[in-house]
Amino acid sequence: MWRLIWLAVVALAASPVAAQNVVKIGQIEAQTGANAIYGYMSSQGLALAVNQVNKAGGFKVGDKTYTVELIASDTRGDPKEASIQLKRLLETDGVKFVFGPFLSNVFVTIEPYAKQFNGKFLLMGGATRIHDFIGTPEHDFLIRTWNWDAGPRGFGNLMVDRLVKETGAKKVAMLFQNDQGGKVLVDIYTPLFKEKGIETQLELFEPGTKDFSAVLAKLAAGKPDVLFPSYSDAPLYDIVRQSTEGNYFRKFFLVRGSLGPGLKNKDEIDDYFVYVPKYFEQAEKTDPKVAKFITDYKAFYKRDFPYDQAPLCSSSCYDHLFMLIEAMKKAGSVDDVEKIRKELLSMTYDGLWKIRFDEKGEEIFNFDVVRMKRGGQISVTSVDVQ
Amino acid sequence: MLQLLVGQTLNGVIVGTLYGIIALGVTLTFGITGIVNFALGEFMMIGAYVTWYLFDVAGLPYPVAIWPAIAVAAGCGFAADQLLFRFTRNNLINGLLVSIGLISIIEAAALLLWTTTPKDMGYVLSGAVALGGVSVPKMKLVVFALLAAVMFLTYAALSRTWIGRAAYAFSQNPEAAMLMGVRTEVLQSTVVVYSTALAGFGGALYATLYSLEPSMGGLYILKGVEAAILGGIGSLIGSLAGGIILGVTEAVGSIYLPSAFRDAYGLIFVVAILLYQPAGLFGTER
Amino acid sequence: MKALLWVPFLVFPALIQSNFILSIFIFSFILAIAAVSFNLIFGFTGQLSMFHAAAFGIAAYVTSLTSSFFHVSFWVALFPAIGFTILISLIIGSICFNFQLRAFYFAVVTLAFSELARLVILNWNSVTNGTLGLMVLDKPSVWVPGAGLIKIHGVLGWYFFSLAALIFTVAVCSLVLGSWIGRCFAAIRLNEDLAQTLGIDTFRYKLLSFTLANTLAAIAGSLYAFYTGYIEPNYLSINQSLDIISMVLLGGRSSVLGPIAGAFVLTGLPHMIDLSGEARAILYGLVLILTILILPQGLIGTLASWRRAA
Repeated sequence: MWRLIWLAVVALAASPVAAQNVVKIGQIEAQTGANAIYGYMSSQGLALAVNQVNKAGGFKVGDKTYTVELIASDTRGDPKEASIQLKRLLETDGVKFVFGPFLSNVFVTIEPYAKQFNGKFLLMGGATRIHDFIGTPEHDFLIRTWNWDAGPRGFGNLMVDRLVKETGAKKVAMLFQNDQGGKVLVDIYTPLFKEKGIETQLELFEPGTKDFSAVLAKLAAGKPDVLFPSYSDAPLYDIVRQSTEGNYFRKFFLVRGSLGPGLKNKDEIDDYFVYVPKYFEQAEKTDPKVAKFITDYKAFYKRDFPYDQAPLCSSSCYDHLFMLIEAMKKAGSVDDVEKIRKELLSMTYDGLWKIRFDEKGEEIFNFDVVRMKRGGQISVTSVDVQ
Repeated sequence: MLQLLVGQTLNGVIVGTLYGIIALGVTLTFGITGIVNFALGEFMMIGAYVTWYLFDVAGLPYPVAIWPAIAVAAGCGFAADQLLFRFTRNNLINGLLVSIGLISIIEAAALLLWTTTPKDMGYVLSGAVALGGVSVPKMKLVVFALLAAVMFLTYAALSRTWIGRAAYAFSQNPEAAMLMGVRTEVLQSTVVVYSTALAGFGGALYATLYSLEPSMGGLYILKGVEAAILGGIGSLIGSLAGGIILGVTEAVGSIYLPSAFRDAYGLIFVVAILLYQPAGLFGTER
Repeated sequence: MKALLWVPFLVFPALIQSNFILSIFIFSFILAIAAVSFNLIFGFTGQLSMFHAAAFGIAAYVTSLTSSFFHVSFWVALFPAIGFTILISLIIGSICFNFQLRAFYFAVVTLAFSELARLVILNWNSVTNGTLGLMVLDKPSVWVPGAGLIKIHGVLGWYFFSLAALIFTVAVCSLVLGSWIGRCFAAIRLNEDLAQTLGIDTFRYKLLSFTLANTLAAIAGSLYAFYTGYIEPNYLSINQSLDIISMVLLGGRSSVLGPIAGAFVLTGLPHMIDLSGEARAILYGLVLILTILILPQGLIGTLASWRRAA
């Protein structure tokens, strides 16, 4: 969304003037519009990372020093905008590295065009539907920058396992948003529950719903053990509050969203299980890298740190820029896409998260599972999937 | 099953009063200025956010926080009236389109100020009461009582006071009213400002029940217009009744039919009413 | 004379080789078809219909589904789409115009039908795949003298294809509006009751205007679907209708070509000027407000009146 033109910074008078070598990084995310919270956080993290790299004088590959130029576009969730923006990035600006998109409908629309540039650029996004294309022929340009729920290393399996083991739940009520994200979750989790012999009941709500009383009552009538709502905090705050106020549910299981809704209602909840890419409140105290990130964020944006939404920075946001730069250094080039990709897929990066990619390009990163009991007693389990 | 029905009917009535306060604003604006102010949902959003800010961030007690919120909403309403709506009196299409443009602007301003991250206000009154076998949150009852009270007071004011009768006269026959000494410009501006104040008040109460996002207004103006049409544009009691009927239908309908169709009931009502009873259930044909 | 206006568009790709700019033009052409056709019912007949995006989206779905389900070409699939659009336009139009709905209520009822259509498409998962949308993999093919039947694939092909469709739309609209039918539309717009007393069957002409506008929108929707390669229920959203209305207001509702200017500005400008999402939304709102209050003739209309005054 901003066009930051960074000139090469000459640090010391004694050193020779560095060549103005610039690496362009593109980003296509929905920063405004529906479900913009993902794209918004990604754009925040990436802008901060670019600023840090350039403030430190850029990075060195070979004997040249490069700075980063970020070209971030707001798709507003409109596939038409994204397809025009991608054309501009790839053809007019000659960008070789694009972060995003997180929204599946945007991704599906740009995929045919992006395919034509296979081998000439890398698209690193968190969209769930990237999973359908990754690893297939002519799709080497794809890298998915988020954990995959299903699959053997998937966190979905792990979460469901823990739910069964620790609570003995036999019936789960699913309450999802009626959009792409919600539908994909239905497709992933219904079979996962079925495998473990758990009965499920599903209700979908219209995006924008605020009063969940009717649908919660309907679900509660089926007497399930646990509510599994999704998926961004906006509806979650209301769902959790109304569930406890109306005495419909007091046990919650989440794979999207934050601990925030749980904390707000901590005295009314019996159990709150959530997959959180990182529990920032605790990580701030134990991990210096996280503490620095929070301080840098507050200084750069001059506003409060959004602890609730920060976990979304796990997707093509902050760490990934540094990973890309490290891959460039190892490959000894800033535009040999194939070499850089090889390096990316063979490295393990330890930043805010511990990240690596599998042979197809799917990301595997360590995450936290937070469990909160009535009264606000929190236990955090850090899961190492490496 | 009966418990489910009773509970949802109660909830529908309460949710319906929120629709009703917007519907009241729609009806008043249409009756006196001849346009539908689609941006009323945004004024509701302004009221909600200012309340949140004063209560959560500035730490004012809730009953104190709502007054500046209503004032800000009304102030913005006044600005909108003087800059925009003053030039679109009685021109439905223009007024509609101008208010839609206003929606973009206000929503963008809210995004700049508060970002898309949802804000959940601290609870003003928590806990629930058992009513007829269902658990009704106390705050919802308070919201219902306050909204209904304001709507009845508005109705009373309009039928008893001089301003009210001037407004009725104006809506019947603008020229005659003007000849009789009614200051029409002042009247129209007052009504616009009052309806935005009502929306702001609705927003302040909304903030005690639900989380806030800059896009929250869109849903409510649509329901508000539907409720106003259902009750009859021009009828004040109709707006409350329309809101409640809409709220209850949605709530009860969601029990028996998939909740995916929740928004359809209002739409079907609108079509049916406009075709067969254009005056609405309580209105008189204008 | 007006035909000369098209010449720059024909030679444009020879001058500007950028795919990025050409694709903006393609989207502008297709959306201009929607805008010009909307102006038929809005600018020329004076009825604010909120059903336009629905016609756009429903036709997109019918064309795509027919093409992929029955394995027929784009052109064959276009027939059921147009047929269906005509049918629902006649039904909805009859309902609305028969009951003598006044301007605002007509907008509200068409809005209600549009939203209902969107909800049906959104939830009819077995057919439309609901919110996940559908990929449209086929491409239309045209017979080009010398090359035979070729599929329209690249940017250049789509540029001329959509330009041709736009020229066709403008031709149809000009023909209709230049005839006695157009004069009846104008009479209805200026004073419907008077038109009725003068013997014009306002019901029939409003219905004709509504149906023709929606049919052309159906063509636009089908083109859009095949060009982007992906359809989703958002095609029928209120925002899509509002976008089209803004294009017409900005470009000018008193001419056939006016909306084209609006389409170009609103589609292309966000990519020419780097603005934040919020700034863009504010600009969009200002455009709506300013065109209503200050430039009611729109850009083209104002330019035309300056030229006449000079």
